[in-house]
Amino acid sequence: MNTDAIVKGIRGGDIPSVSRAISIVEDRSQISVSSEIMKKIYDRTGNIHIIGVTGPPGVGKSSMIGKLASEIALRGRKTSIIAVDASSPFTGGTLLGNRVRMQESINRNSIYMRSLASRGFKGGLSSAALSTIRILDAAGFDSVIVETVGSGQADIDIMKIAHTIIVLHAPGLGDILQSIKAGIMEIGDIFVVNKIDREGAFLAIKDIEDSLSMLPGGPWKRKVIGVNSLSGENIDALLDEIERHRSLGKENRGDGEAMQEMSIYIEDELRRIILERSAPKGDLNREMKRMMAKGIDPFNGALKLVTSLVGSEI
Amino acid sequence: MAVGKSQSLFKEKPIKILLAKPGIDGHDRGMFVLAKAFRDAGMDVLYAGLLPTPEEVIDTAVSEDVDVIALSLLNGAHLTVFKKISDLLKKRKIDDIALVGGGTIPDSDKPKLEKMGISGNYGPGTPLSTIIDHVTKRASEARLRKLGGR
Repeated sequence: MNTDAIVKGIRGGDIPSVSRAISIVEDRSQISVSSEIMKKIYDRTGNIHIIGVTGPPGVGKSSMIGKLASEIALRGRKTSIIAVDASSPFTGGTLLGNRVRMQESINRNSIYMRSLASRGFKGGLSSAALSTIRILDAAGFDSVIVETVGSGQADIDIMKIAHTIIVLHAPGLGDILQSIKAGIMEIGDIFVVNKIDREGAFLAIKDIEDSLSMLPGGPWKRKVIGVNSLSGENIDALLDEIERHRSLGKENRGDGEAMQEMSIYIEDELRRIILERSAPKGDLNREMKRMMAKGIDPFNGALKLVTSLVGSEI
Repeated sequence: MAVGKSQSLFKEKPIKILLAKPGIDGHDRGMFVLAKAFRDAGMDVLYAGLLPTPEEVIDTAVSEDVDVIALSLLNGAHLTVFKKISDLLKKRKIDDIALVGGGTIPDSDKPKLEKMGISGNYGPGTPLSTIIDHVTKRASEARLRKLGGR
């Protein structure tokens, strides 16, 4: 497949072309091909609704997303899913396990789903995920659901570009507020308590409602919705709420969104360029050793190295 | 292909492998052992879940753009089911995804599977390193075809 064929395929909504293009933007060694693809699909982007889903491990994010995507498909929309899986910090290997939880929904409703490993990117995860979203956008998908574990900078970056953020929780995992307090209360647009058939579900909903009522109010009233991802109970109510949020937010986007995207790319590209310039020759390691031998402190050593690499003063 | 070249290739993007048991076979303990071994060898590992149809396996492989599909059956249906997978790949003109097999496969069946393009076909007791080496080799070939097509 050459680049033109891939671009043509994406514009026509051809799945193998979309898949190959995503592999290319994931692959940091193919930056020039990626740039060509992104350039040629840009005019077709800007229509996709990005739904971010976050929450602690084990609350049922993948299962909920499977059911939610099915519900969207049932309403006649073309939808897609991106799930980020954590890689081993030791071997770099990844078990892309999210897919298994939603396989049935994917098969039955021909939903496009793609797994992304958090490793191998050295900080490039955000830009890979972002490019993936734009490829799906150009391929004519009406929405994309992005699943992350909700920790780490890359995850937070992805959440920054989501239009509707769902924070998921479940009863029985200890104090609800403990695990969703830091930053997450503010970023969530819709709060969902999964596993409502379980004991304590009502209290969990109440807890979140109480603490939401203490946040400064805006034009959007944040709701807490209880669902059951196994039976699919109340998933339609959740989708109604998502649709409501989507119709409200449409006018408020615009330039801010594009700037946010560009700043994510800038950070990743800066890191890539600096590492590429210094790493191949083994410079970085050697320089680091030299600096340490001089007895320079790590902070000033790092400042010196980086400024010399980009050729500027502090 | 130079060995060093493939290594630098995968430094950027690791091998992506899909494990599948495309038949009436629920014995997936071995799959989990393999999944962990492949992960620890630095690969991105997907598992197709229990009882996928051959079509579902191919759909998943295409959506995720994997380099290798590793098929396993312990129920004796490998000649039928593995063939279906290999035929489907050919029908959809996919030549950049490698097929490897494993399970309880009699020696006499192995040449037939090889002919369908399904290599390896390891049985119980095979050292994990043998399997990983073989998968790495087949994945590198598939990856080169992916890159060569552009």
